Amino acid sequence: MRKAFRITPILAAALLLLVACGKKQTPSAGTSTTNTGAKLVVAVMPKLKGIDYFNAVERGAKEAAQEIGNIDLTYDGPTEGKVDQQIPFIESWTLQKVDVIAVACNDPDAISPALKRAREKGVHVITYDADANAEKSGREFFVNQATFEDIGRALVDEMAAQAGENAKVAIVSSSPTAPNQNAWIAVMKRYMAEKYPKMQIVTIQYPEEDQGRAFSMTQDILKTYPDVKGVFGISSVAFPGAADAVRQAGKSGIVAVVGLSTPKSMREFVKDGTVKTVILWNPVDLGYLTVYVAKAVAEGTLKPGAKEIEAGRLGKVKVEGDQVLLGPPMKFTAENIDRYDF
Amino acid sequence: MKHLVMRREAVLVLLLLVEMAAMQSLSPLFLTPDNLIEVVRQSAEIGLIALAMTLVIITAGIDLSVGSIVGLSVITMGMLWEDARLPLSLSVLLALMVGTLLGGFNGTLITTVGIPPLIVTLATMAGFRGIALGMSQARSIRNFPEPFLWLGQGYVADIPVQVWILALTAVLFHLALTRTAWGRSVFSIGANEAAARLSGVPVNRVKMQVYMLSGFMSALAAVIYAAHVSVAKPDAGLGFELTAITAVVLGGTAVSGGEGGVLGTLIALLMVGFLRSGLTLARVPSEAQDMMVGLLLIVVVAIDRWSRRAGGV
Amino acid sequence: MISKRISPTRFALWRQYGREMSVGVFLLLLLGYFGTTPGFLRADNLRDILINAAPLVIAACGMTMVIIAGMIDISAGSALAVCAVVAGLTAKSGASLPTVILLPMLTGAVIGAVNGWLVAFVRIPAIIVTLGMMSVLRGGIIWWTRGEWIGNLPPSFSAVGRGEVVGIPTPVLVAVGIVVAIAFLLARTPLGRHIYAVGGNPLAAARMGIPVRRVLWLVFVMHGALLGLSALVYASRFSVIQSNAGAGFELLAISAVVVGGVNIFGGQGTVWGSAIGGLLLQVISTGLIFRRVSEYWAPSVQGALVLLAVVADALRTRRARR
Repeated sequence: MRKAFRITPILAAALLLLVACGKKQTPSAGTSTTNTGAKLVVAVMPKLKGIDYFNAVERGAKEAAQEIGNIDLTYDGPTEGKVDQQIPFIESWTLQKVDVIAVACNDPDAISPALKRAREKGVHVITYDADANAEKSGREFFVNQATFEDIGRALVDEMAAQAGENAKVAIVSSSPTAPNQNAWIAVMKRYMAEKYPKMQIVTIQYPEEDQGRAFSMTQDILKTYPDVKGVFGISSVAFPGAADAVRQAGKSGIVAVVGLSTPKSMREFVKDGTVKTVILWNPVDLGYLTVYVAKAVAEGTLKPGAKEIEAGRLGKVKVEGDQVLLGPPMKFTAENIDRYDF
Repeated sequence: MKHLVMRREAVLVLLLLVEMAAMQSLSPLFLTPDNLIEVVRQSAEIGLIALAMTLVIITAGIDLSVGSIVGLSVITMGMLWEDARLPLSLSVLLALMVGTLLGGFNGTLITTVGIPPLIVTLATMAGFRGIALGMSQARSIRNFPEPFLWLGQGYVADIPVQVWILALTAVLFHLALTRTAWGRSVFSIGANEAAARLSGVPVNRVKMQVYMLSGFMSALAAVIYAAHVSVAKPDAGLGFELTAITAVVLGGTAVSGGEGGVLGTLIALLMVGFLRSGLTLARVPSEAQDMMVGLLLIVVVAIDRWSRRAGGV
Repeated sequence: MISKRISPTRFALWRQYGREMSVGVFLLLLLGYFGTTPGFLRADNLRDILINAAPLVIAACGMTMVIIAGMIDISAGSALAVCAVVAGLTAKSGASLPTVILLPMLTGAVIGAVNGWLVAFVRIPAIIVTLGMMSVLRGGIIWWTRGEWIGNLPPSFSAVGRGEVVGIPTPVLVAVGIVVAIAFLLARTPLGRHIYAVGGNPLAAARMGIPVRRVLWLVFVMHGALLGLSALVYASRFSVIQSNAGAGFELLAISAVVVGGVNIFGGQGTVWGSAIGGLLLQVISTGLIFRRVSEYWAPSVQGALVLLAVVADALRTRRARR
């Protein structure tokens, strides 16, 4: 009797769960099964969901999917930028035998075994935004928004123009292990030594993905190193945090803030002059181009050795080796920033 | 007492079966060997940690530092191999030792100095992670040789290696906990530490062993993790502690101690893994999955409470 | 447990506030150490430290009550994000200032009420409830905002976090007000005594006729409202509000409380200790940058200092017991 008592509510709840899940099924019923052949199933994964930057990528991807017509687009990924949470998505999509997986990798090596398995099961794999280890993963193409080299140089050149060639500068990054940020920092250091030997990095701080810490760390930098003439904010969290700190310290125009972020989150600072230029590629175009590349790879129109690819409103886009190049980074300034809504 | 625990595990199995049926109705791909094996493989590292965490929680303790121990032992392994040029097998052994010692450090502060486990491991969680970052200057170590990667990517009889390791350790843990005097003393410490001490249980020693075991299992998970993703990173294991604790409490181990078992933990681990996998196959967005895992935890434990009251326990 | 009676010895103050005072001494030592670096003890830096510590101190006050009641909340960081977004959206919608202040507090209180109900009435351990709530809220906030940051905030909103009243920054004023209010509540009101009693020994408290469950529930509601206020103070300092704010904030708040000498098992401690603890954490994080400690090593130094404070306190109380 007792036993029955205990199990009844559990079964009831389990049924509830079942019903709840069953309901969820309806909107996605048509898409949850394997590809029926008519539509090309393209699965796009961001590094993480829930940030402006990848929202813009998603928008571009959807735009392209709609334009092309016969594409069934899935866009999903982890809510935290961790590679071990990306792998289950790859495995799951492989099992579903989607036609193409396009992924922005949180770690080039860690994701490779999963991508390799997908390739072995006949799924096309491309990467965008951040590449996988080309050799170990067997990925076919990398849609490269702008090389680390281009971005690193653009950041340093911009700083030299604003703060002077012999300025002391600080960097506010993301987490100390963030691969993109570390790659940019490496390029920046090297390029500075080459071109502006008198420019000096006094400190690099790592506020993780926390706006409040980016803010207070920048405050502390400004006070600890009073002769700092410029601050790099090289993540979409660090840049607004650093700009806010400089502005609230009353140093707008005295300390230059240069960095990478979406124009949307920086608009206010550009308008009031705290930030003169925001450097970034166009993430909407990146998503758009990625889906076009996915389609071309799946249909066999984009093969190794190709020199260019036709991508809708972007026209002909250059291909170099196994990389599709979106083009040089963009600069958003007070003049043009209102034209972009991402 | 014992059949009560078994009964809870039977209910968990039932719940797991219902969940699997639900997931299958969402996607016909769910109940395929490929998928199920893959889910277990993805859960193996957390599973190893959760086994030891079960013991820690049965003693009415907690270990928040497991994720950081993963990071610190994996980077120790990597640096010993790459920088100190030690053979990889020796590096692995040393990493396991480091993990055990870190657990021992927690255990010393908890038993000898008498600081509550939550506080100790909250502080060492930051401390160990910091040492991992500082030691390695935040770089990661790659290009491990193929035989090592077998630990995390290879198969034995079509079952991934780490699943074998998980199953084997789970059996050992289960036997140690239910069939030995040591296991009984773990339970008795959690049920009533003062009474356990009076009845001659070497409380401090057993607790020390439990935290060292937690450190060792974290290091073991770290080694497998490195082989699984082919990289040793100082930020490996970030957030593992919460996933492991979720599996333990969902599996019916009481946070107040003295009650629970590793079988429940394993079933709960599968429940979470299957839920996520089924929902991913059904293209339910990941943020909704996060919400459902949180709800699952609250609802299952709530039902357990209600049914206990209804059953008069 | 409720040994708030002042004993007639010379060391009365030490005996009653020993934990708080030892943390205070530790804070002074650190200030002295960091103070040797140029600029650290300047007024503008101390002012920034106080402002930056304000949201943490406010949240730590609520967490203090929760922990004194023998509970814990690890969903605080996620709740902070939800409340910050609510604050931002309310402000943007052009609502009046009282609404902008009250709505996030209300949101926090509702979250606290749900947590509290599950803890007090369904009787699920707090750590499980809030562990589950943490993923529910984190997932929920991304679902709701799709990760969009909230910008274009009206100037009246920024005034909350950056304004001044008679030369004192508003966040600091709010934090001090909350600390005093909660200290009064805990030490001088029946509810406060009940909270100590419930945390010290729930069975005895129930036998004394204290409505244990209602007290627990109320503690979570108040804690939630304070989180809402903390979120408001936190968010209004910035020009854009990050929708995934507050990751790890719960651990920071718990650390502040624990460093401040509140007994993690409940029944003992004061908000004064937690406030000093919160300040201590902020001083360490700023001080390490001033001291130019390698940024890679900074987190471990921080962890070590926290551990040092706790171990010192454990040894002190042990000697006192002897």
